[in-house]
Amino acid sequence: MSPPLAVLAALAALAPLRAALPPAILDYTDRYCSSCHNDEDKKGRLDLTSLTPDLAAGTDFESWVKVHDRLGAGEMPPKEKKRPDPAETAAFLAALRDSLITRDRDLVAREGRATQRRLNGYEYENALRDLLSAPWLQIRGQFPDDGESNRFNKIGDALDVSHVHMARYLAAANYAIREVLAANFARPPATTVRHHARDQRTLTSKFTPNPFNTSPDRLTYPLLLREPQRAVRMLEEPFTVGAKDPATRDLEAIGWVSSNYVTGFTYRWDGFRAPVAGKYRIRFNGYTMWAAPGGATKSFANGTDTVGKLRPPNLKTPDYDKLSPGRTTEPIAVYTRNGLLNRRVGEFDLTPEPTVHDIGEVWLLANETLVPDASRLYRSRPNDFVNPLMTPDGAPGVAFRWMEVEGPLTDDTTAAGYRLLFGDLPLKKVAPDALGIALSVVLPGDRREGGRNAGQRVEALEQVRVDVVSADPKRDAERLLRTFIARAYRRPVTGADVQRFVALVHGRLGAGSSFIEAMASGYTAVLASPGFVFLDEAPGRLDDYALATRLSLFLWNSPPDDALRARAAKGELGRPEVLRAETERLLADAKSQRFREAFLDYWVDLRKIEDSTPSTTLYNDYYLDDALVEAAVAETRLTFAEMIRADLPVRGIVDADFTYLNERLATHYGIPGVQGVAMRRVALPPDSPRGGFMTQASVLKLTANGTTTSPVLRGKWIVERILGIDIPPPPPVAAVEPDIRGAITIREQLAKHSNDASCASCHSKMDPPGFALESFDVMGAWRDRYRAADETKTPAPGRGKNGHAFAFHHALPVDAAGELPDGRPFQNVKEFKRLVLQDEVALTRNLARQLTVYATGAPVHFSDREEIERIVAAAKSHNYGVRSLIHVLVQSDLFLRK
Amino acid sequence: MLLEAHRKDFSVFSGVSHPNVDGGHPADVCFLTAAPHPGSSSFRNTVSLDQHIAEQIGTLTRFPSLTLSVNTRTRSLSWTGTGVAIPPEDKAAEVFKQLFLQGSPEQVKAQLRQLDNGRSILDTIAGQARELQRGVTARDRDRLDQYFTSVRDLENRLQASRGWETRPKPVVHAPMPVDPANPAAYMEKVKIMYDLARLSFETDSTRAITLMLDSVSTPAPDIPDATISDGYHNLSHHGKSDKKRSELKTLDEWHMKLLAKLISDLKAVREAEDTLLDRTMVLYGSNFGDANAHTCFNMPTLLAGGGFKHGQHHAFSTANNYPLPNLYVSMLQRMGIESDKFASSTGTMRGLELA
Repeated sequence: MSPPLAVLAALAALAPLRAALPPAILDYTDRYCSSCHNDEDKKGRLDLTSLTPDLAAGTDFESWVKVHDRLGAGEMPPKEKKRPDPAETAAFLAALRDSLITRDRDLVAREGRATQRRLNGYEYENALRDLLSAPWLQIRGQFPDDGESNRFNKIGDALDVSHVHMARYLAAANYAIREVLAANFARPPATTVRHHARDQRTLTSKFTPNPFNTSPDRLTYPLLLREPQRAVRMLEEPFTVGAKDPATRDLEAIGWVSSNYVTGFTYRWDGFRAPVAGKYRIRFNGYTMWAAPGGATKSFANGTDTVGKLRPPNLKTPDYDKLSPGRTTEPIAVYTRNGLLNRRVGEFDLTPEPTVHDIGEVWLLANETLVPDASRLYRSRPNDFVNPLMTPDGAPGVAFRWMEVEGPLTDDTTAAGYRLLFGDLPLKKVAPDALGIALSVVLPGDRREGGRNAGQRVEALEQVRVDVVSADPKRDAERLLRTFIARAYRRPVTGADVQRFVALVHGRLGAGSSFIEAMASGYTAVLASPGFVFLDEAPGRLDDYALATRLSLFLWNSPPDDALRARAAKGELGRPEVLRAETERLLADAKSQRFREAFLDYWVDLRKIEDSTPSTTLYNDYYLDDALVEAAVAETRLTFAEMIRADLPVRGIVDADFTYLNERLATHYGIPGVQGVAMRRVALPPDSPRGGFMTQASVLKLTANGTTTSPVLRGKWIVERILGIDIPPPPPVAAVEPDIRGAITIREQLAKHSNDASCASCHSKMDPPGFALESFDVMGAWRDRYRAADETKTPAPGRGKNGHAFAFHHALPVDAAGELPDGRPFQNVKEFKRLVLQDEVALTRNLARQLTVYATGAPVHFSDREEIERIVAAAKSHNYGVRSLIHVLVQSDLFLRK
Repeated sequence: MLLEAHRKDFSVFSGVSHPNVDGGHPADVCFLTAAPHPGSSSFRNTVSLDQHIAEQIGTLTRFPSLTLSVNTRTRSLSWTGTGVAIPPEDKAAEVFKQLFLQGSPEQVKAQLRQLDNGRSILDTIAGQARELQRGVTARDRDRLDQYFTSVRDLENRLQASRGWETRPKPVVHAPMPVDPANPAAYMEKVKIMYDLARLSFETDSTRAITLMLDSVSTPAPDIPDATISDGYHNLSHHGKSDKKRSELKTLDEWHMKLLAKLISDLKAVREAEDTLLDRTMVLYGSNFGDANAHTCFNMPTLLAGGGFKHGQHHAFSTANNYPLPNLYVSMLQRMGIESDKFASSTGTMRGLELA
């Protein structure tokens, strides 16, 4: 029957038309908008007449979204222009919204919300670490930085691949395999060795001044418990009594009064080198000391003068012949040394009583050693440095007897990586010119040199060549590859895929490669293959394997573990209660720390914490203050962790009655009663401006440049990251140069932002929060006045952490008052926070959006907005708790579909 | 003026430095990387300018780069993209052998096997990529396509490297250099390294060379007709002593004399219608602005050759330094490498133009 067909055809023809905007929309914009937004005037850089109504073309979709949003918020037309009839505007918005959603849904149905993407640097590193059971592998730094989109490194459109990435994939896989092999080659049994301070050449070579270090401040000194040992210090007696007198040896120690300083000198234990990558338990025996003033510097005629001339005693330098028990408790941070990426691995408080401090188990790479940094002591910098902690009575210092190392510790994961690669096949050493793979290992033996720079040189690793013994290479290759790919790939592997890599390995064997080289090629190929590197998601509802991967990349930043994979294999993840249980399990696991750190690294930009340096002119009290920066980062991470653990409400991002502090950070904030190096939860005094992310030192450092603060940058940060309002970039205008001589404040210089209407449209949103934060300096300390540098003014009294006198003075007072765009005023940051807290829905909506981008690898589409509102509404019944919000997101269509 | 004859061949820059590179001595390894805070406990270096160049165009020559030094085997200017230092060669004779003496058949065979390994791996994964592309949507296919193109791109580069292994090395009539044993023969060592660099460029053995001129471990240098009374490091901490400053001046003048000779020697080699100097950029500087005070801002910087418009002093603000990485962006672009950013650069070098 023909007529129904004709009708059907007509209906089909109608459908694509809906992707084009109805004519009524263009009528409206022509009538009310084009007088400013045309191709000549282009007000706000928008020409509505040139936008295409064909939404399917894709190019102007975002512009139409902006039109919808600005009109919907009442921001357009501008206040002084004629307003159209409200009913007409409502109809316009409804029609526009309908078209936008339809077009968006169409696109999502075809392609999914998310674009195909590769694992980002963090995920790839974790994937290799987990696969090879080698948490110490350093992979992320081997790759170029990931691109960003919507402020995260999780969106495919920004995660590019170039020949550089490919070369790095090959190199990283090769590195990872060789590291796993080296960790299992000639692995020594666990021992406990005490490394005495008096056997460390780095430390003993610093007893005597030399042309490079003429001041006692930069020297070390020997002592027997608390007694100075002048004869040893003058090199008249040996450094140690050695094994023949254990009782005396036990009391021998070395002390110092400054912390690691910048000419490259660190108080390191050069006599220890981790023999193999692995876990070690580390203990230090030490105590604090006190040295009287009145030491003397030496002067040297030239570089070959080995004797020098002693200058008269100086009350500003310590006398290492006059020691007394410690009067302070000193925070000690322990760092690794000698490796590619030195990192902090532990901390403790050194007290006047000799104590053994156990920093627990740490992961070390082969050849690494450790450095205890007395972080409160100063870091001297030429010229004319004076210890800021020196008093008329003397100066504090630290002394160490020994570092004890127990390890390498072994458990059932130690050989897991090797077993995955080569099963039970043995590893054997071969001749240097034979076929095989070269490993870099630590061979036993002390090859340290003496002299002035003794212990400073990092001993190189030795090369050994190895091969794996196989009686049946081709069969072993297939067997091992099958197992490896099944573990590495995140869904069941096809026979064809296995054969692809088997063919590669068999080919290499045929070309004359050793078994180990051929297998390494195969494994490298797997780890660089798109099956490993790329996600596998098809439009529509994600299958269980894709869902398991998405959940694990979200909450662990790594591929799924066996338990999650098993759920997927059984097809159980589709059940909401199973998905919820797995979400809970992943959140409760220690690996969720990876999620929290990576999320904060991008949401709050925490990874950029070191991108600025405090000015040595204005802020030398923060000079190389690693302890402060590390505590600041820890505060942000611990706060976020607690918000998730205890399901605290989202409003805690803006303000809270607690935070995490240690003594260094508490001193920085002016909060009394917090002692020691450990971070702990602290209830904030009711009048404290702290609490919430905006007033954390980490955020305040990130949003400053080390010399000055910018209300615009800080304000923009808050508005975009916390309130979720995006601010377009400014038109080309000359930058404001802050006046660090202190004659005019930044607020005065930014006056035009509020006086000029076109500036004010954006700046009225951004600047006020920034003004509220002007009460905090470049490192987040509270200030009532700005610091300024002017040689004609008397500087503030005191010395910085570099030993140089302050060069700044306190200048103009800070004015932190402002008003929100709707006119509500605030006098200071506390009042500002109170105003922002009133819209919990906005705060929750923003966090939901940030989590959505991170978890799904896609921006929030126009057609996703309804779902976001549903998520926020569902979160309300859990008091907007962050953990609950995560659960609601995981259960939503945004997460369950591509 | 020692460089008078070459006034039109170089430019000097003042008021420049690497943003956030502080710390004094540890900043020497950041000269070509501009990685921030070398003095911090958790410092990790980033890719150096020469290694970035090597990664992009290194296969055009037998050696993607050369890393040289005088009086140090540990402090290097060359750092790979994976954060690893390339230990410098301080013996010119060793480098000469690598450049111009043929390798043993076993060495060549080992290198070829490595390259073939890489190519086989890439071939395998390209095959998988091709198959995967069939089953995905248009937007996703674009991402896989980029991956596929990168694989092919790297394959071509490995193929180019392979070609070098089987090609004979260039024949040179220059004698093998003799490295002085005594570290005090500082200026002689510098001269030998400059000659080696010029010879390397002349034979197109490489297009990126770094040379670390150490002063920290150098004893009082031997200077004809002059007496240097103190070690190089100590002299640079002159503490305003007239005697030290005068000796330092003598050393600096020698450096300028040797630099002038390098520029002359490069100019004397013709390449088609250019001189080798026109086609070579010589970047010369120090990580210290004021070595006496150990500060790393206001780095003295000189650029010669490269076909730029020279003979100028580009004076930037000494109070508010201009980013030196901008010069590196200009240099990269001059090498024909598409770059609009390097480390903490904000653009190309203001005021530096091509001739």
